[in-house]
Amino acid sequence: MGGPRADRLVGTVLRCYPPRWRRRHAEEAAELAALLIRDGTPAGRVAWSYLAGAAREWLAPRPGWHRTAAACALLVAASSLGISAGLLASANPARAAGTSQAPAAARCRPAPPAAVPGVVPAPGRPPLILRGAGRGRPC
Amino acid sequence: MTDILADVAERRPAVSTRDGRAAQDVLRRAGEASALVLVSLADGPKHGYALIRDIREIAGVELGPGTLYGALDRLERLGLIESLPAEDRRHPYRITAPGAAALRVHLDSLERVSAAGRLRLRLGGV
Repeated sequence: MGGPRADRLVGTVLRCYPPRWRRRHAEEAAELAALLIRDGTPAGRVAWSYLAGAAREWLAPRPGWHRTAAACALLVAASSLGISAGLLASANPARAAGTSQAPAAARCRPAPPAAVPGVVPAPGRPPLILRGAGRGRPC
Repeated sequence: MTDILADVAERRPAVSTRDGRAAQDVLRRAGEASALVLVSLADGPKHGYALIRDIREIAGVELGPGTLYGALDRLERLGLIESLPAEDRRHPYRITAPGAAALRVHLDSLERVSAAGRLRLRLGGV
């Protein structure tokens, strides 16, 4: 590959660098790539080298990076603490009322049907039964 | 012979300055490309293309342009090289006094490792 296609490829890869790097080196880097390609270095190899360099530039810690990272970590920690506190606050009123929650099996015991006292069934009809009127708790 | 080996490889500090105090080999952490760039700049200022060609000649290493700019930026941040005013679009780079000192320290360290390695090969009979 050579000529305009190589120039385009290198130009595209150089756009992957951070703006501060491009302001400083982009023109010189494009010229260097052209010289290397003219000398016989494959354009793909030059482009790959610049691509790897761009990745390193983005990943390399800069001066002040530690402060930014620490601020982000604090923000994340504060946010998660806030969410946890919110969840706790929403769960607390039930506890404050002293209603301790029984196990699910005890809470939801099916009650045997019981006839309503004082209600006389009509002749030929079954007695009136209310669900949950027995010892068990309704589900 | 074993004593000599221990002296070469273990007892001496990793790096040392002329006044006897131990100095840190900053280039060890900066990477091989950075050391090669400093070696190339040791005889005078060069721009990127000249650096790549020179390093190819002296070390047989084909330094990619992305690697080169990474090394140049790192060395400049460490104050070991400085950028000179641009000629056309090319920025020549020059080694600084701390850069020359760091290169000396690094080369001394490499020499000791090299000597220890050769001695061990001889002792091991490999």
